[in-house]
Amino acid sequence: MSDRYHETPQHWILRTELLWAFGVGVLVAATITIIVFTALTRNINPPSNVERVDPKTLHLSGEFAEQNLGTVVAADGTVTARIIATQFMFAPHCIAVPEGRLVTLRFASPDVIHGILITGTNVNTMVVPGYVAQVHTEFTRTGELLMPCHEYCGLGHSEMWANVQVLSAAEFKPDRDGRVTCAQH
Amino acid sequence: MPVDRAEDNQFEAPDNIDEAALAAVLRVVPLGAAVLAGIAVALVVLGYLLVYLLVFLPRGVVG
Repeated sequence: MSDRYHETPQHWILRTELLWAFGVGVLVAATITIIVFTALTRNINPPSNVERVDPKTLHLSGEFAEQNLGTVVAADGTVTARIIATQFMFAPHCIAVPEGRLVTLRFASPDVIHGILITGTNVNTMVVPGYVAQVHTEFTRTGELLMPCHEYCGLGHSEMWANVQVLSAAEFKPDRDGRVTCAQH
Repeated sequence: MPVDRAEDNQFEAPDNIDEAALAAVLRVVPLGAAVLAGIAVALVVLGYLLVYLLVFLPRGVVG
């Protein structure tokens, strides 16, 4: 008869619990490894940006003034979209972005906490008044994507959404100022 | 104050359980619990991996 048979039930239970704890430890380590591996090899990270902005003067001047909203291509080719999330709309309501190029999305809120996600992508962030929420991403398919507010922000929350129009290289044509607006279909 | 008698207390009343039989059962019970919990955790991990491989990675770069 094996030695195990002569152990008391308490020993056997303790052994099982230790084995289970070891298994859970392995799973936790594997999960952390996957997260780090993905971040290092695929450039997939939780969006993180600590940048203050005054919500009271958002619309008056600076980066989020009305004339600066929407998509702009800088001289060096970087694409940045600036969007205001406010009760209960996004400005602009449609955001044009290119397919297959790195895009920087910058959001600010003048009122309450909002949140955005873009369907079919990993873009997902909170928009907190007083801070600029920034997400870098690359859109892999052309087409219209929905961008709803996903943080309850008031009675009109369910009406708060925008379109993201992913345009092919041929369609994504900046004007003289580098600005790109949604194509009218 | 009345004194509690052991046989009045459901937790302390003699239960006529054979200690050897109890020990034999307790040797098996943790194995069953481990198998059940193992299957449950394996299903959760499988779901996580499927979402990670089939949904999260194809959605691409974000940060």
